[in-house]
Amino acid sequence: MKRLISIVFVAFCLLGLASCDPDEVKDKVEYSDFFENVADNMIVPRYAQFQSDLSALEVSLNTFDASDVSSLISLQEQFKAAYLSWQSVSVFEFGPAAEYSALLRANCNSFPANISIIEENIEVGDYNLDFPSNYEAKGLPAFDYLLFHTNNNDLLVELSEPSRIAYMQDCLDDMQDKVDDVVNAWDSYRAVFVGSAGNGQNSSLSLFFNQFLYDYERIKREKLALPAGFASDYGVPVDADTSIIEGRFSKMSFQLMDANLASLENIYLGVGVDGLDGVGIFEKLKEYNAQSTVVDGDLAIAIQEQFVICRAVISQFTNDLAFEIITNISEVQETSSQFQKMVPMIKNDMRSYLSVTVTLTDSDGD
Amino acid sequence: MTKIKSYSAQFPQWLHAETRIAPLVIFRIIFGLMMLASTVRFWSKGWIDSLFIQPNNFFHYYGFEWVKPMGEIGMYTVFVLLIISSLFIAIGLFYRWACLIYFLLFTYIELIDVTNYLNHYYFISLVALLICFLPAHRSFSVDVWRRPSIGLNKVPNWTIASIKFQLGLVYFFAGIAKLNYDWLFNAMPMSIWLQAKTHWPIIGDLFAEKWIAYSFSWVGCIFDLTIVFFLLYRRFRPVAYLALVIFHVLTGIMFPIGMFPWIMILSTLIFFSDDFHQKLLLFLSSLFKGRIKPLKAGNYVVLHGFKKKILTGLLVCYAFFQLLFPFRYLLYPGHLFWTEQGYRFSWRVMLMEKAGTAFFYVTNPKTGKRGEVVNSQFLTTTQEKMMATQPDLILQYAHIIKQEVESRGLKDPIINAEVYVTLNGSRSKPFIDPSINLAEIEEGLKHKKWILDF
Repeated sequence: MKRLISIVFVAFCLLGLASCDPDEVKDKVEYSDFFENVADNMIVPRYAQFQSDLSALEVSLNTFDASDVSSLISLQEQFKAAYLSWQSVSVFEFGPAAEYSALLRANCNSFPANISIIEENIEVGDYNLDFPSNYEAKGLPAFDYLLFHTNNNDLLVELSEPSRIAYMQDCLDDMQDKVDDVVNAWDSYRAVFVGSAGNGQNSSLSLFFNQFLYDYERIKREKLALPAGFASDYGVPVDADTSIIEGRFSKMSFQLMDANLASLENIYLGVGVDGLDGVGIFEKLKEYNAQSTVVDGDLAIAIQEQFVICRAVISQFTNDLAFEIITNISEVQETSSQFQKMVPMIKNDMRSYLSVTVTLTDSDGD
Repeated sequence: MTKIKSYSAQFPQWLHAETRIAPLVIFRIIFGLMMLASTVRFWSKGWIDSLFIQPNNFFHYYGFEWVKPMGEIGMYTVFVLLIISSLFIAIGLFYRWACLIYFLLFTYIELIDVTNYLNHYYFISLVALLICFLPAHRSFSVDVWRRPSIGLNKVPNWTIASIKFQLGLVYFFAGIAKLNYDWLFNAMPMSIWLQAKTHWPIIGDLFAEKWIAYSFSWVGCIFDLTIVFFLLYRRFRPVAYLALVIFHVLTGIMFPIGMFPWIMILSTLIFFSDDFHQKLLLFLSSLFKGRIKPLKAGNYVVLHGFKKKILTGLLVCYAFFQLLFPFRYLLYPGHLFWTEQGYRFSWRVMLMEKAGTAFFYVTNPKTGKRGEVVNSQFLTTTQEKMMATQPDLILQYAHIIKQEVESRGLKDPIINAEVYVTLNGSRSKPFIDPSINLAEIEEGLKHKKWILDF
């Protein structure tokens, strides 16, 4: 009996071990080199670039002269630079950018812009841009509308109205405040991001991966499939609608899409804003000798090549997306199916090699 | 041969012969406390909200379409009742009612959504059903304290044996399921799972070794097949139990299987002798300063005539069902792990690595207009993941989409799905026939011809 009791005792001591979470066993941060590269060579400098593009836009706006078309053109160019710059930070919607006070994606780029709310706000002059009902009336899509919705001569006439300039200034202030907050918060959040271990729901790995996937799926659906009429809403197939295109008025939809893809591609490869190639997802997948289940061979290479293909098919278009949807739908369809091919590579293969957990709950390993 | 004959003749007698009640009582207390802990854990992880309140749609079991979640207040009430009833089981208060309520409510929450299916939830449902029929409250319980006349010292062997049988089945069938080519001769999916742990300190490098993966696979298989027999023999029991604890602790550390290792480690204590349990009871009794005592002698239950026949009949039916049900997959053609027809409720635990991507398309039959479905508008991430590899859920999802689309005014939509699935590290292959209109396919238990070959 004594022997039995002691065996049961030993057994229960072992049980103590079982009660610790599997994640806690990992005592080194497996992705710290990758997170450091992303934080120092991508997140921080890309936000800095976006910040400075917004400042340049501010200068153009403050010195705008409604009697001078070149002043309008320079304002438009500054806006375009800022919009392209935004594409490189949209994926970082975790940590500071996902704080309720920031919510950069919703505050900076809720497209399509709601023109009637914008016009009403300008006319009434009394609005609170922090209300969620104003998400679609501000940010970069509002600039897209106000600076491009008609020809430059008519725009100059419109913009001689101080209320329109004031509205843009308010929209710009709103974005700058939020981006400044995010940039400041990253000073301290960097250590949290780089030091986060494991693959739990709130680990950097999980947050980062989910945003990477989300940003990619947003390009595929919101920026292409939805306006082109390849998507559905709650299952009901939607008709093509060129009025919901990102950058609809400035006709820069393909450039924006390409900038967004390039942003993800550089993160994937580990290329910093200085052009130096550091540790990216590519290197991690190579380290694991990851094999694709979707195409033959090496997963790291397969995803790399699919990024190149996706950007190549976009670059073939000579006109803006609205025009191509109307005149060249088969090529747009081809682009959409190339975008689609990437999804299982990221959503299944990459996720499983990076061990990002999908399920919140227990499993018995189906 | 004569020996077997005499055993089989003695067996029914043995089932009704008397043994001490202690193991049953300890099991009741342990089971009640474990269920209490599991329910509290489930609640504290926020799963009531994320599994029963947040989802817009639920996947039902065939024949149980009518089981629906009850909204926020309803679901939290169910969990409060689960907590109370599991506590009542542990202390033995209104025992039969507590067991019945626990069984019904636990089974109810498991029936709400197939994507939550776990073998050990099924196990808990079965045990909760079993203990409704067992007199586990008739010693060392509040019920006996209130009504000493119902106290029992001895119970028939079948009461304890039925729980051992149920536990033994879990291991044995889990072992049988591992007797497949991939598991034994490719060390799959063990290799994939261990590969993901190679960053572990000290032992991590070992996990990359192929021979380790083979060892884990074979040891796991042999363990599952034999453990219950070693537990039954007094001589091997202590060593077998130690091995069992090590096995479950290891799997508990390595895989996100939650309460399962705990439940098995504690439940299998029932294999120990009645002496052992009697001592545990005396120890517990000393904690209560002897105010609650196990009975020294006295009543026992003996069933006679009709009652005995009914009970024996029920037990035999239950045992046969349990033994045969896991083999129903033989009625279906094709690779079981691929089609998953007859996969659930068969103790197939930690057996394969399967992942899929599903693209659904809705076509307007009048205009030919086609659109890709956004799965996140219908399903949670977990539901989507589960659906993408299980044909019956793929079909159900198509019907969920159909219902939503029709409610939005588009009648008779054509619904197709392109699904790619990888099994045990294989290349992703098309899983179902993409040309089939899933909206027209009826749900059922018949073979699904639209599943493509592995």
